[in-house]
This record gives sequence, C-alpha cells and structure tokens, in this order.
Amino acid sequence: MALNNKILGVVTLFYLCLFLIHLLYFATKKESFLKAAWIFLYVTFGLHTVGIITRWIESYSPWTWNGVLSLPYPQGPGHAPLSNFYESLIFYAWCISLTVILLKKKLSVPIITGFASLIALFCMGYASLSPAVDRKIEPLIPALQSNWLHVHVFACFIAYAAFAISFLCGLFYLFRLKGMPAGEKLEEMNYQSIMVGFPMLTAGILTGAVWANYAWGAYWSWDPKETWSLITWIVYALFLHARFTRGWKGRRLALLSIVGFLSVIFTYIGVNFVLSGLHSYGSS
Amino acid sequence: MSATRSNAAEGETPPRSSGVGATYKFLSSVRLAILVLSFTAVACVIGTLLPQQAPAREYLSRYSESTYAIFRFLGLTDVFHSSWFLFLTGLFVVNLFLCSIERFSRLLKNPREDRIPNEKALRAWPNSFILKERRVEEMVSLFKGYRQAAHDDRGKIIDRGSISRYGVYVIHGSIIIILIGSLLGVMFGYRGFVTLGKGETKDTIIARDAKGTPIPLGFGIRLEDFQVSFYPDGAPKDYMSRIDIVDRGKDVEKADVRVNHPLSYKGASIYQATYGSDPVFLFNVGGKEVRLSQGGTYRDGALVMMATKFEPSIHNWGPGVQIAYLEGNETRTVWFVKAVPALREKEVGGVTVRLDDIAKEFYTGLEVSHDPGIWVVWTGFALILFGLYINFFVYYRRIYLLQTSEGVLVAGTSPRNKEVFREEFEKWREKANGIK
Repeated sequence: MALNNKILGVVTLFYLCLFLIHLLYFATKKESFLKAAWIFLYVTFGLHTVGIITRWIESYSPWTWNGVLSLPYPQGPGHAPLSNFYESLIFYAWCISLTVILLKKKLSVPIITGFASLIALFCMGYASLSPAVDRKIEPLIPALQSNWLHVHVFACFIAYAAFAISFLCGLFYLFRLKGMPAGEKLEEMNYQSIMVGFPMLTAGILTGAVWANYAWGAYWSWDPKETWSLITWIVYALFLHARFTRGWKGRRLALLSIVGFLSVIFTYIGVNFVLSGLHSYGSS
Repeated sequence: MSATRSNAAEGETPPRSSGVGATYKFLSSVRLAILVLSFTAVACVIGTLLPQQAPAREYLSRYSESTYAIFRFLGLTDVFHSSWFLFLTGLFVVNLFLCSIERFSRLLKNPREDRIPNEKALRAWPNSFILKERRVEEMVSLFKGYRQAAHDDRGKIIDRGSISRYGVYVIHGSIIIILIGSLLGVMFGYRGFVTLGKGETKDTIIARDAKGTPIPLGFGIRLEDFQVSFYPDGAPKDYMSRIDIVDRGKDVEKADVRVNHPLSYKGASIYQATYGSDPVFLFNVGGKEVRLSQGGTYRDGALVMMATKFEPSIHNWGPGVQIAYLEGNETRTVWFVKAVPALREKEVGGVTVRLDDIAKEFYTGLEVSHDPGIWVVWTGFALILFGLYINFFVYYRRIYLLQTSEGVLVAGTSPRNKEVFREEFEKWREKANGIK
C-alpha cells in the first residue's frame, strides 16, 4: 500500500468521526459540538487535500509500479489523480467537502453538512475498502493525456457535489423530522447549491465537448455519458425554470432535486457499468 | 428563466383572439419550453437504453419481430437522427427564441420598477434602517459600487449588478448559436473513418452511417509510419501516425498525428482514432526472402502461392497460415505452423518453402472530419459561459433612499440572493451609522 492510500484511509476515519460529531450535536443540540464539527471538517479537508497531492506526487515516482522498483517512469510521467474509479471517488468526496465549505458563507444547515459528510464517508469507505476497486496508480491511456482532463473533471465533480447538497435539501424537505430547520431555509440552500451546480455542470459539459473534439474528432457524439449529462442538465434547467418562471415551490421542487440527483448518479456511475461507450475510463 | 421577474409574467400580454395569436402565445410560452425539455430528456433516456443504429439481428435477439417493427416505425433505433427528434429540436429553438424575445422586450420597455414605495412599506422590510437628521444627497456616495437607477422628489433608487438581468438572454442566445453551428456542421460538413497500412495512400473515407458511404476528400493521406508504445501492463501508452498529405500528386505536408493532437488540412481535421494489426508472413522460398500479408500472392516462374488463411492458434501449436498453390491446373492448400518444425518447411510445387516468422504489421485508424460550423459552436460556448457567469455569480440588488421627516430611510432588497445580501446590508448599516 502506497503512502497516499494510507493517508486517504485515515481521512476516511476522519469523515466517520465528523459524522459522529454531527450525531452528537443532533442528540444534545449543544452549539459547541457544531463548532467542533466545523473545525474538524477543515482539518479533514486539509488532510484529504494532502492525500490527493501525495498520490499526485507518487504517480511521478518510479517505485510505485506494482510496488516493485523498476526503470524510471515506467508508467510515463505522473498525472493528476483523476483517472480511474478509485481516484474519482476520492476526488468526489473532496469536492463535497469543498462545496460545503464554500456554501457555508451563504448558508449552513447542520443536518445538511452532517449528511454531506456521510456521503463523503460512503465514497471514501467504498474506495478504500471495496475489493472491486483498484487502488493502484495506473498510467494514463492516450485519450486522457490532455490538460482538458483537469478542468473538465473539476467542473463536473464540483457540479455533482453541489447536486448532492441539493439532493439532501430536497430529501430533508420532504421528510422533515422534529427539530429540523424550517422548510424555507432548506429550499434556499437547495437553490443556492443548484446555482453553483448548474453553471459548473454546463462548464463541465462544454469543456468535455471541446476536449472530445480534439481527442475523438467530434464535440458531440451522443455517447451515453454525454447524453446522460445532457439529461441531468435538462432536469436542473427545468428546476430553475419551474422555480423562477412558473413559481414552483415546496414538495414539487424538492422532488425535482431528488430526480436530478438520481440522474447525476446514473451519469457518474450507472453509465460506466450499465452502458458502454467512449467514456469507459472511470469503471475500474 | 428570468430570475428577477416571476410568475405574474404569464398573462401580461394582451389576449389575442385570432388563431395566429393563440399559436404565437403557445409557441412562446414557458409551458411549451418545459414540455419540450421534458420530451427531449425522455428521448435521451430511450436513446441510451436501447441500442442505437445497431444491425437488425441485435434487436431481434432481444425483442420480438413486431416490437422491432414498432421501434423502427417510431424511429427508436436511431433516436438522435430521427425526424421527430429533429422536429423537437426545431420546436425548442423556435420556442426559446420567441420566449426570450417576448421577455426581453418587456425588460426593455420597463427595465426596472422605478417607483419608490411609501415609507410605511419600506419600514416593514427586513433590510431597513433609518439615519436620523441626514439628507439623501449626502448618503449616496457612501454606497460604493452602486449606481443611481431612478429618483424623484422623495428620494433615490440605487442599484448594482444589473448586468445579471441580461444573463438569461445571453444564455438562451448562445444555445441558439450552438444549435445553428451544429446544424451548419451537419449540413455542410462530413465525418468518416479510414484505415491505412504502412505505405498506403487513400483519398476517400468511409462515413459512419449504416451504409458506409464513401466520401472523397479531395486530397490523399499516406501513412509513412505507425508507432505504438505500451505500458508494462500491456495498455497502450502512446500511438502515432506519421502521415503525408498528398495533394495533386505532390507531398504538401508531413505531420505526426497523435491522440489529442489532430492535424488540420484544408478545413479537414485528421484525428488518431484507433489502430490494429494484421499478420505478416515471412517465408523463405527456394532461398529467397518473401513477405506475404493475408491474401497476398507470390509468383516465381511456374510457382504461384497465396496466403489464404491465418489462424492465431492451431490446436495448441500456436499461429499458422494456410497457403494455396497451383499444381498443374489444380489448386492445393497446405498449412504452415511456426512452432512445429515438421510443419514449418514443405515442398510446394517442387520448391522448398519455409515459414520463418509470423510478424504483426500495424495499421492506423484515422477519423477525418470537416465541420464548417465549429467556430460558431465555439463562439456559442464562450458566450454561454459569460452568460452563466453574469446570471449566477453576479447578483442584482437595489437600495432605496427615502427622505422622511426623521431623516433618511435606507431599505434594500435582492430578489435572488437574500442571505448574502442580508450580510452586505448589515455592513452598510454599520458603515452608515459610523459616519457622524
């Protein structure tokens, strides 16, 4: 196991603690637990960043190839850890934390940050423990050897993360328990996260299109991943129009943000395992 | 999606009784937009769950003959090129255009609400405070970044971020530009595929449609060399075609085409798409080195031999090749197997023939496309990003300054970003109270 895997394993435990601190807050309603949770989130996010950077650096090292010392750079020059399913899960969890931190300035709702850390925990845990996930640093296949990789993946994953927050807002709006924040606050946060997610998803689709034009010779080829990202885009476009021009509110919008996130999950994971296409990088 | 005006917008247009008016109203409605977008999403789901442009047998292995007939009738086997999908896209463009024009003209006619509400109403706002014994004129300069939007004898309206109200029109306009660009590409462009062995020249490509229509390029592409390197685990690391463009019999351009690094020539772009390999058989025929690819023929005097069949594995003996030759007027065949000495050397038509090696010869697969609409599409992309930025990351807010008997009443609002504006307004309150 390389150093990055160890660090990221510790980060997984941190996310578990983060969720537990939130649970303590829900049980006791003591503000000090909430403060502790935020400090712990910054620490976790920091270590998570260190883990990702370590993996990036290790991809340049000649020793990591199957753990055996081999010729320098057998896997080609290193690359940002954005190229397989393990790396994408790690990066997704990182994006969720980043989005929660960025949205804090506008709004923060403990139930949302708590369950966002649960989603991050799930991603990190699955990435670190599942036997189906390959945790080795793999070389980049030619199609991925491009600077568009960074900006494309970053835009898409920030969008996916924002939509996860929107999903939680919709979910807790529909199933509001006692002591939960008011519906309007959840609605507002739902909308704020889509305000981040929608432009980022658009940017992700467009940078993907420009890249596809260089790599595959066409900016749009109705590849399943492209098509599903368009479906997701349409769902959130509908959300925005329903809210602003048709004046939708409440349950119907909450449902729409849940449908949107189901589409995100299918775009991110479903497409790779159910449908085959050009975009089959993230599945191993 | 106009962010600043909301649901009251519908029905503001004067009712038109004629059929044309009703049709226009329907075509420019948000209701139609929602309908068309929903249908498009459903079409996309079908287009990914059902195999598209597949051969008939693939559908028939999963569905009954009548189901397949229904699929074909509805165009579900090629959703994205079906006439109804094209119609849906056309309807979308018309709707988006009319809807945006309708709203935009309303915005131009009445760019902003410019009446200052009365004192009682403003005092009730959550974001409001009063500055005792002050005048509106001296307060305006305090609000840096704000511009005067309107004024009357009672006070002033100042606002900020008003560009964000145009964002939605920039976005809608860019979507139309992108779709026009893609239409130009479909109408006046082409796309196809060509495979080239080393030394081969081709001037036509094969379209990626069901028929495989040949498309003449107007120039030739010759493959000088093809190189591929692998990672230790066997995955390809890099592959590259060294090609020559041959135009009117002359070599005009040489280039290395790699994945992510296409070559452009006369409006056509040439991309490294795939590669593959064919076996090459190295024979020694009566002391002479002979190189045969599959289907290749060698003649020497009376001897005529041809490599007819390749098997990557014969029993457990490894790769072998079948040779056909003429003996008198009869065709005979014989198998050569590389790894078995007894099957490596044989008499063929009175000459000793030995199979020295079976090598791999790589060929390259290039994608060639010509898209005159691409710069239109790129322009649309740039514009839409700008539109998204001003629509989502710039936000509109306005502050009312009303002269009252007590002093200046300051009240502010932001229709879309209430929470952030509340914080900003707090800062204004502190700043204003700090000036004594």
